[in-house]
Formats: sequence, C-alpha cells, structure tokens
Amino acid sequence: MAESPIITLSELNFSIKAALSYSFPDTYWVIAEIAESRCDQKGHCYFNLVEKDDDRTVAQIRANCWAYEYRKISQKFEKATREPLKPGMKVLFLAAINFHEVYGLSLLIKDIDPSYSLGEMARKKREVIERLQKEGLIELNKGLRLPLVPQRIAVVSAPGAAGYGDFMSHIANNPFGYSFNIQLFPAIMQGQEAEKSIVAALHEIRKRQDSFDVAAIVRGGGSQVELNCYDGYELAVAIAKLPLPVFTGIGHERDDTVADMVAHTRMKTPTAVADFLISGLKAFEDRILEAQRRLGRLCEKALKDENHKLNTLIQRFHYAVKNSFRHQESGLDSALKALKIQVSHLLRTANDRLTIYEKTVKHLDPANVLKRGYSIASLDGKVLKSVADVEAGASISIRLQDGTVKGKVQEVFTHGE
Amino acid sequence: MENELTYSKAAAELEVIVKEIEEENIAVDALSEKVKRAAQLIRFCRSKLRGTGEEVEKVLADLEEKTREEEGEQF
Repeated sequence: MAESPIITLSELNFSIKAALSYSFPDTYWVIAEIAESRCDQKGHCYFNLVEKDDDRTVAQIRANCWAYEYRKISQKFEKATREPLKPGMKVLFLAAINFHEVYGLSLLIKDIDPSYSLGEMARKKREVIERLQKEGLIELNKGLRLPLVPQRIAVVSAPGAAGYGDFMSHIANNPFGYSFNIQLFPAIMQGQEAEKSIVAALHEIRKRQDSFDVAAIVRGGGSQVELNCYDGYELAVAIAKLPLPVFTGIGHERDDTVADMVAHTRMKTPTAVADFLISGLKAFEDRILEAQRRLGRLCEKALKDENHKLNTLIQRFHYAVKNSFRHQESGLDSALKALKIQVSHLLRTANDRLTIYEKTVKHLDPANVLKRGYSIASLDGKVLKSVADVEAGASISIRLQDGTVKGKVQEVFTHGE
Repeated sequence: MENELTYSKAAAELEVIVKEIEEENIAVDALSEKVKRAAQLIRFCRSKLRGTGEEVEKVLADLEEKTREEEGEQF
C-alpha cells in the first residue's frame, strides 16, 4: 500500500483521460445495437449501445450525439432507410472515445453509415421470409377463394388517416351504386407500435370472421418512413392465418413488404383496393346481366317458334275443316242419290203389288164369279152353303149374272164320296 | 332459414335455368314459370348489390307465400 502514491480523484480521472486520448486518438467505425435512446429539449441525443450474443449482452457503453450532429445523422439515416433511428436497430456509427472527469466514459458519435443498417434490415426481412416459407405461410392466405361478391369488408386502418378516407370515399362513390358493408378496426398504422396494433385488429376480425367476406389493411397519405412494421414476422403470421382473404393497400413506394407478400392480394394504394372490390361486384352483376340477356334472346326465340307452330297449326286446321266440309258435302249428294233410287224402287214395288191385288180383287168380285157361270142360292135371304141347310119343298132363290130365279126344291141329295 | 337465398345460390340457379332452356325444348307454359323465377333471381341479385337486399328478401318471401297459397287452393 505504501508503494502506491496518493492522488485526488480529479487527478486520477485526468490521468485516465490523458491515457485514453493517447491510446485512442482517432475515431472508429463501431457496430452496435441501440438499446435505448433519448433526446433532450436542446436536441442532444443519448444512447445506450450494446452488443449481444443471442440474447446475452457481451458489451455495453453510453454514447452521446450533440444536437447539430444528430440532426445531420438522423436525416441521413432516414433518407436512406426510411426508418428513424430507434432501439432495436443495428447501426454503424463513427465514434470518438470520450472520457469526462465527472460523467465518465462514453462514445461521442460523429457520423453514421446507413448502408450497414439497410443490409441488416434486408437480412432480417430475408430471415422472416425464409421462416414464413418454411412454415408454409407465404401461400396460405392466397389459397383462400375470393368470395363471389366481396361486399362485407373488415378494414384495418387509422380512423383519421387520408388513406382510409380515400378508401371510404372511393367505395361510397362507386359509379354503379353498389353498397358495401364496411367495418373499421382501428389500428396504429406506422411506427413502433404498429405491428402489435395491427395484429390485435386482425385478431378482432378473426373473432367475427363470419360477418365478413374479406379483410383489407389500408394506409396512405402518411409519411414514407416507419413502415418496417410491415416486414414483421408476427404481422405476417396474423395475415396468413386469417381465414378471410386479406387485401393490402399500404401505400408505400419501396419494394413489397412481407405483409404484401403473405396477403391474398396486394395493391399499391387504398383506392386500388377499393377499385378491385368494386370490380368484383361488377363482374358478378355482369354475369347476372349476361344470363338475363341470354334468357331474353331464348324467350324471344321460343315465342317466335311457338307463334310459328301456332300459325302452322291454324293453317292445318283451316285446311282440315275445308276438306271435311267437302267430304261431307259429297257424302250428302250420294246419299241423296241413293235415297232417290231407293224411293223409286220402293214405289215401283208397291205399284206392282197393287196391280196384283187389283187383279185378285177383280177375280174375287161376286159379279165376276157370276159372269163365269157360278150362281148363289139362298133360303130366306141366307146363302146356302150345304145341303144340310135345305129340305125338299123349300122355296129358294138363285142369283144369276143378270137376274134371280125362284123355285121349289124337288130333291136333296148329297154327292157321294 | 335454410333456404336463404345467397349470391352464389341465385347465380347458380339462374344459370341452370338458362342452360335448361338452351338445351332442352321447354314448353311455353313451363317457360313462363322459369322466366318468372329467373326474373326474381335477377331482381334479388341486383337489388342486393345496391343494398336494398332486405326489401327484396321481404318481397320474395311474400311472393313465395302467395305461391304456396295458390298451390294450396289447387289441391
């Protein structure tokens, strides 16, 4: 103990400072992860930088960036990466080693190389994509069939955002007068909280999936930074596993985000999503109208055919009636002729029969019989027909053709057999 | 209501009617029935697209009730 000199703390710190500036006279490009960051009112920024091996911290140091430098550095970084400097990012800072007698050791940040962070982001994105591919999630939502008529839409957006307004007015003013049933599920659409917030909104939609045909994630009109959230793994899973087709209209200018990649259909802007949905209804209505047109043509043809059939039938009927009349007329004629023949035949037969009767009657007339030499004997006015009716001595009268003879019967005898 | 008309049911039925008329020779009596049904389906779809679906469903329900009554009278 006696060998060590006794000095004051300030003397010690001054020696440390001198030694450090002697050993680290230059600036260094340092790879580190921002663990915390905080800016004060003057615009000075304070970081806590770490290096991690898996989740274990293997190095840690404080770092400061003065307002003037910070403004330059943060603008340069945002311009290149479209993301603000924030905790969780891996960065490449140009830093000097600084030791302050009161505040101790820290890095003084002079510059930044955004290309390192860009590479890191791209690598992270690639890793997310590879993981999604391995888990079969990239194509999962695309495998869902688009509904025939996407009319009930669950929208994830920020209520006040221009993108949501564009979407709604585009839908409301569609030129065909279609009506849509749109339900907003509000979410923070950019920045650090966005991923968690959108995932939560998607879970709400999932609970009510039967009430919707499709889901749409729309954003736009905001700044073009802080869209890294759309490359997150959790959001990609939530989109992929939603049992409704998911449309994206995130309104960004860069390459597809991971959210776009796993969505069923990706559009550039909210209005493009609206147009697509409207065109879905139009396609269905066109299909209905086509059926209507075909039906119209078929009916017209069927009626024409039927009319033609009817006309043919009427003609045939006319012809048949005429024909039948002619037929019956000629039938009547021949019947009449037959009748005439029949009648004259009957008349003749009757006449012949009459003649015969006449002759017979003539033959039988007693006057004619008397003329032929027969005579009629009568007793007391009664015609004698048998010898049994008369006796000898009776006075009888005999009627001849031209007069009567009276006399007495001398003898009666019977003709022997 | 299991017989609730949907877009897909309506479109499918409509297209079946068109096909039937196209492919088979349908008598004019049957045709008018089919066309009446087709008109119902078309009206249903077009109105539902424009958000007057509820009214349409009511009209259709009334219509079906009436048809049932008429059929009831026949028997």
